[in-house]
Amino acid sequence: MKLLAADRPIANLMRGREIGSNLVLSADVCVVGSGPGGAIAAARLAAAGARVILLEEGGSFTRKADFHMQEAEAYPKLYQDHGNRATDDLSITILQGRGVGGGTLVNWTTCFRTPEATLALWRERHGLSDFTAERFGPHWDEVEKRLNVHVVDAAEVNDNNAVLMEGAKKLGIGTELLRRNVVSCLQTGACGMGCPTNAKRGMALTYLPDAAERGARVYADCRAVRLVLDARKERVTAVEAEVLDPATDRPTGRRVTVSAARFVVAGGAINSPALLLRSGLPDPHGRVGKRTFLHPVVATIALFDRRIDPYYGAPQSVASHAFIERPGRTGFFLEVPPLHPMLASLALSGFGAAHREGMKLLSRTNAVIALLRDGFLPDDEGGTVSLREGGKRLSIRYPLGETHAEAMREAMKVSARIQLAAGAREVRTLHKDPVVVRGERDLRFIDERPFGPNLLGVFTAHQMGGCAAGADPKASVVDGNLRHHHLANLWVFDGSVFPTSLGVNPQLSILGIVAASAERMIATG
Amino acid sequence: MESRRGFLRKGLLGTALLALGGGAFLAFRRTLRAAKPRAALSVLSPDEYAIFAAVAARIVAVDGDSPATDAVDVAGRADDAMAQWPDSVQVEFRRLLRLFENALTGAVTRTGYETFTASRERRQDERLAAWAGSRVAVFRSGYQAMKRLACACYYAAPESWPATGYPGPPELPFGEIE
Ligand SMILES: Cc1cc2nc3c(=O)[nH]c(=O)nc-3n(C[C@H](O)[C@H](O)[C@H](O)COP(=O)(O)OP(=O)(O)OC[C@H]3O[C@@H](n4cnc5c(N)ncnc54)[C@H](O)[C@@H]3O)c2cc1C
Ligand code: SF4
Repeated sequence: MKLLAADRPIANLMRGREIGSNLVLSADVCVVGSGPGGAIAAARLAAAGARVILLEEGGSFTRKADFHMQEAEAYPKLYQDHGNRATDDLSITILQGRGVGGGTLVNWTTCFRTPEATLALWRERHGLSDFTAERFGPHWDEVEKRLNVHVVDAAEVNDNNAVLMEGAKKLGIGTELLRRNVVSCLQTGACGMGCPTNAKRGMALTYLPDAAERGARVYADCRAVRLVLDARKERVTAVEAEVLDPATDRPTGRRVTVSAARFVVAGGAINSPALLLRSGLPDPHGRVGKRTFLHPVVATIALFDRRIDPYYGAPQSVASHAFIERPGRTGFFLEVPPLHPMLASLALSGFGAAHREGMKLLSRTNAVIALLRDGFLPDDEGGTVSLREGGKRLSIRYPLGETHAEAMREAMKVSARIQLAAGAREVRTLHKDPVVVRGERDLRFIDERPFGPNLLGVFTAHQMGGCAAGADPKASVVDGNLRHHHLANLWVFDGSVFPTSLGVNPQLSILGIVAASAERMIATG
Repeated sequence: MESRRGFLRKGLLGTALLALGGGAFLAFRRTLRAAKPRAALSVLSPDEYAIFAAVAARIVAVDGDSPATDAVDVAGRADDAMAQWPDSVQVEFRRLLRLFENALTGAVTRTGYETFTASRERRQDERLAAWAGSRVAVFRSGYQAMKRLACACYYAAPESWPATGYPGPPELPFGEIE
């Protein structure tokens, strides 16, 4: 059996260290960012005959040279802010990918289409009248084929994920086997550190080479600093980017300027709104950076008498959406994360002997995560991205209110019950002073623990919003075609356009919705 | 607008110094340089290196099963990691370390009148705990910043893995396949 797909180089790829002088380039379309949104847009536009230039601030990485399944190497290289991204008060740890391929370099390969309930809410509340499964369906069909999206075999469920499946079953809580975008996956568990076998069908192996074969040119290590406007502030005329030295990630002093007829911003949630803010684009209603959603994640940690080895095997293979619809309250869904030593050490509460004790039990530890479907309640505005230090740095704020606290407490109780039902000896929360749950009677302590920034560990790996799509320019940044409300030749094609969170893992939603929108962009000539 | 980790300027420093009033002499107690850099430092000063080494030792709290934080040079690894950070974040983190070390902070948090590096282990743990659970949100953020860096630098080191039961990355069932 052929175990490995060959490295498939992206033709026309230029890295920062190869750029020895200032470059002035021109294209039909300039795309900023190479995650799912930027990659599929580049592929579609190039296939339609457009001359595409794509700028990516992260480096370009390959299985052979860069993916060694080592956390110490992976986080600084493949994540935003070298793995240190967080809200301003450090209360929410933000895992977000960076590099040619964006988040797909490091994501855990779970694939969901956008749920109908989410599309319906966007149609009703945000005026996105043609956001329908009928419209996006054919694009999802195509993407799923291209990325080999398929349901995992039950035999591929590792012991870590089996805790969720078996515990939930005993309690009568529904779960499902997940779909993954992989080919001949060797179940290393290393998805978050970059796939060492090329099994993961991320953008760097699929839509980016496709785009390049149709003539698109990809510039790695090039950070778009600002979009330049014409005198009347009606159109974007160019993108100015600074070249980064891949060794230090600092500017080399060289610049790349791309002029084009059309521009696509696809830097992902958080970075896309930041680029728009830095560029001083028209934003009369102050909507850029607002409605940032994170699927805030809380976890419960279970200790078993048997080995779980939570670092091996397909990282995510089981989920439960049994608690997604909670009328008047925030819904949540349950999944299972891989636990490697470094990530586990950041997640576990406390310090000193208690923390150490937890780390020593890693091989017998399972975690269940609950991801909150934020943005669905009418007054849930999410967080805000803004600039500071003259635009050099980002500010990310995300206030957690009582509705989040209620959902988090409920989610922790549910996941603790599931872990106990699966045979856990005890379950711990990630409160500053963890609640230790050995039976039903202990769950009430979860309600009694103080709630506030840095009193409970909260994470996110799904950033959405900040350039919300909507029919009303007073309440959104882009229209239903993902075109900027005030600039005729600018589109935003990434997860930042979602007007709420999704309630499922985002990559497939981004791919399908952007593919359909790119088709419209092409049709408008 | 409060900036990310900019809490130090407006928050931690402000709160601590205001609360301290007349105790300024405590601020000048010297750092005990128990840990010495193994190689030239890029970001931290020798004092800051010693402070972070002392903080990391209490946060990670190794026992007999695995190498000490100094043995894997957690502070040196932190210095390497910090070299990639933006200048302003480096400045803030160094300021945080010096504030945490400051004997005045011990006085404010009622965890002794010594610098952190000169305090006994029990006192050191009390000061960490005081910050972790402080009612002042910026102290909690400061604690998080130190905890995360210390844990990340220690548990990224393969030497730390055996005691966690993590056998390391799996062997791939092939050599270098083209
Ligand atoms: C650890 C982890 C696990 C995940 N697991 C899953 C999963 O199992 N399933 C799932 O569906 N989703 C998962 N996700 C989330 C998913 O990967 C993201 O939602 C998705 O990649 C977002 O796509 P995007 O196009 O919006 O932006 P991104 O993927 O974030 O891509 C944006 C790119 O633009 C670049 N960029 C930003 N600003 C600039 C600039 N100014 N100039 C040039 N380039 C710029 C960035 O470096 C980045 O590479 C996971 C994410 C993480 C971090
Ligand atoms: S688990 Fe599979 S897809 Fe993920 S890194 Fe390992 S081989 Fe690649």
